[in-house]
Amino acid sequence: MRDPCIHWLHELGQEHNDVVGKKCANLGEMTRLGMQIPPGFAISVDACRKYMELTGVSGRLTEYFARLGDELKRSFSMQIEASRCAREMIRSTPMPTELGDDIEASYELLCDRCGTADVPVAVRSSGAVSMPGQMETYLQVRGSDEVKRRVVEVWESAFNTRAIAFRLERGMAVERASIGVGVMKMVNAKSAGVVLTVDPLTGETDRAVIEGNWGLGESVASGEMSPDHFVMMKETGAIDRTIQRKARRVVSTATGTANTDVPEDLRDVPCLTDDEIRQIARGAMDVERHFGAPQDMEWVIDRELPFPQNVFWVQARPAKYTPRTKAAETDYLVEQMARLFRR
Amino acid sequence: MAPQAISSGGVIPGFDFDPESDLAQSPAWFLDGTHSIPPWTPLFGWFWVNLCRHGMQYGAEKLSLPTVKGWDWRFRNGGGYLTLLLVKSEEERREREQRFRVAIRPFIEDYDALWRGFVEEMLGRYDGLKRLDLEHADQLELLSHFEESIAVCRRMWEIHMYMMYGTFTAYILFENICRELVGIDDTSPAFHSLIAGFDNKVLQVDQRLWDFSRQAQQMGLGAIFVETAPADLARVLEADPRGREFMRAFRAFLEADGWRMQRMAEINVPTWIEDPTPALATVKRFVTSVDFNLESEREKLTRDRLAAEQKTLASIAPEQRGWFTTLLRLAQKSGVFSEEHDYYLDFYAHALIRRACLALGRRFAAAGALEGPEDVFFLIPDEIRRAGISPDQFDLRPIVARRREAWREWSRTPAPPVILKEGFDIDQAMALLVRSNDPIALKVVVGSMPVARPELKADLHGTCGSPGIAEGTARVILSEEHLADVQPGDILVAPTTSPSWTAVFSFIKGVVVDRGASLSHAAIVGREYGIPVLMNVFVGTQKLRSGQRIRVDANMGALYVLDR
Repeated sequence: MRDPCIHWLHELGQEHNDVVGKKCANLGEMTRLGMQIPPGFAISVDACRKYMELTGVSGRLTEYFARLGDELKRSFSMQIEASRCAREMIRSTPMPTELGDDIEASYELLCDRCGTADVPVAVRSSGAVSMPGQMETYLQVRGSDEVKRRVVEVWESAFNTRAIAFRLERGMAVERASIGVGVMKMVNAKSAGVVLTVDPLTGETDRAVIEGNWGLGESVASGEMSPDHFVMMKETGAIDRTIQRKARRVVSTATGTANTDVPEDLRDVPCLTDDEIRQIARGAMDVERHFGAPQDMEWVIDRELPFPQNVFWVQARPAKYTPRTKAAETDYLVEQMARLFRR
Repeated sequence: MAPQAISSGGVIPGFDFDPESDLAQSPAWFLDGTHSIPPWTPLFGWFWVNLCRHGMQYGAEKLSLPTVKGWDWRFRNGGGYLTLLLVKSEEERREREQRFRVAIRPFIEDYDALWRGFVEEMLGRYDGLKRLDLEHADQLELLSHFEESIAVCRRMWEIHMYMMYGTFTAYILFENICRELVGIDDTSPAFHSLIAGFDNKVLQVDQRLWDFSRQAQQMGLGAIFVETAPADLARVLEADPRGREFMRAFRAFLEADGWRMQRMAEINVPTWIEDPTPALATVKRFVTSVDFNLESEREKLTRDRLAAEQKTLASIAPEQRGWFTTLLRLAQKSGVFSEEHDYYLDFYAHALIRRACLALGRRFAAAGALEGPEDVFFLIPDEIRRAGISPDQFDLRPIVARRREAWREWSRTPAPPVILKEGFDIDQAMALLVRSNDPIALKVVVGSMPVARPELKADLHGTCGSPGIAEGTARVILSEEHLADVQPGDILVAPTTSPSWTAVFSFIKGVVVDRGASLSHAAIVGREYGIPVLMNVFVGTQKLRSGQRIRVDANMGALYVLDR
């Protein structure tokens, strides 16, 4: 690609972590393992930095935060206000024409590849370091103007309250934050969810745990409903299924996403076939082996493609889990607290 | 006039104390002396009895406390009376315990995220309320702002009591475990060393006031502070060019941190923003002090704590240290939460309630519905709503006159500390509190009972809230208004203390309170300032006189009168 600010996802790998952020670099790395990711491109961390500098937002932010001084560390309310101001500064500043044109050209190329005009894409943040609260995701974005608008909104999210508080706590420069952005084609989802190569509650690493629901993965990530729960033992491949009644799902619409009822005849049906469960678990185990650490990954099953081409990956990151001892400690304290009320 | 006749006038519909039906519901109702002496205005009483009551039941339900469903409250002659809602059957207790096991986990797993999330939520809601320009808002906007303030206050109490129940449960467990494994409890100095030496928002504000006192001296304003009475300070400073500069910075500080009033549980006194006198009085006192206890004490306490932690952990079996450390950290957060929540929750929400009520009060007064804006504190929300949209159509002055008369009468007639059913005695009543296992009742209201030790030959006995020994002049202070009488080096003798008393802790030698428990205000702040606090002395304010020389040995739970 002409401009080093933009890279195709399938051309990326782990070594591009600092260039495009972890999320995009990991997705690129997965294609090297032969795994399928939706077509798309990454906008580099440097593009965000250039935007800040060329438009003068960077200087305004530096000046603004210098004025707030040390007091900002102590006051939550000031952090909330600072976040509002910083975000407003970014939101009201359009991106430089050249950068905007590059994004537009890349999006048009993506449309050509997919054979659809205005192909719906997901626009997601991709930070070079993990930062809590920086997980902006915009789904079903269509048209180059919309894409550009969402990209700026992801940049803006580097100044949300949690990100500001995080940088203050770590003693990092609060006024500077650049973040990468991934733009990838939306999968026409039949079902979606997460897979972990470790049981997050017990820390047991001999199994892969899958959770999923009909439609997009957002309903699973939000934790609002009880998803189907599948456990596959890594050694034997034995599958344990807990099928929930799935009343609601998130689906794509022409302009975004919507929370809708699941048709009655699908509610009690598992959202994955056994083949799909094995394919997902094995894929996740490959990535775990490759990165050398338990993984937390997001998968999507395409509605139209045949198995196994219908399994897509949209995210991989190291799993956060409570090691066994920690969970046991909490259990012990809970038990002791319950006993307080038995006297 | 019989006091019953005043109370039965019906002040807070649904929550006026009714001896017949309320004593049938519960045989014992306790006066909340900490918050409702002197008597509440009808409006604040409405807020407390409705919303604090809601919050306690919300918190107990959200956590599914196995033995108690929160507290019930009634209003009687300006006093708040409380009783406990006990879980009635063993079967229900067991069911509640199952849910409790799940509900309590967030406190253990990530306490900071929980508390910080709530603080952010409330500050966001407060900002929403502050956004309305009260001067230029129309009547409809003011009324809906008032309704929104009630909703914010209600949410505040939900968070308040949910957090408090969870936090105190952890603290009580830590105390029990320490008693079992280490042989110390919350009446021993070693226990307090383990949980002192932490910063919190209230102490940060103290620190800021100290910084302002240094700044005043650097700006050459020392003389003005020394010579001017607190009430005149703002005016005199504004008349001086450097003083004006000082006041500009001071008001900016108040704009952020001045959402508090002299009395924590009332809204009829000005906030620091309206009247900076209490804050300036503290700066004035600091101007003449040479060193600030807090800073030097903090370092010492932190060192002591780390040493105490090491010593305690060494006495715990290695395989037990994991969960013990988690619990220790939780207990340490209890003190921080206990102080900090007053600032982020009670003070702030009440200051905004005051602001919303006064805004309507001013319109009512202008329209002739009230004599003056502050008369609004003698109304209840339904009466405010009555005139909310068209105040010119209503005359609320007779209601105010009647209520004000009753309120004055309440102040003249002390409220009984407990109302008991015929044939029920105080020991049975205390047993009811203990049986509830209610963490707040145990840690804030009841506390531990002092053990009289004849061999000490002490004049009064109490329990240790903060370790240490001090000798000095007793200063008996019965309420916040008289705090200005406290002199450097005094030993404060009070019924109880609240966050508005914090400022004097930096220059006194010790504290003696009639009632208190290890998570009550006096104990927590005493520990942070490293001064002895003797609690549950019960008769300190009756038996001691201002000016007497006394010695307080909090470690032994003893108080000696040196001259008689």
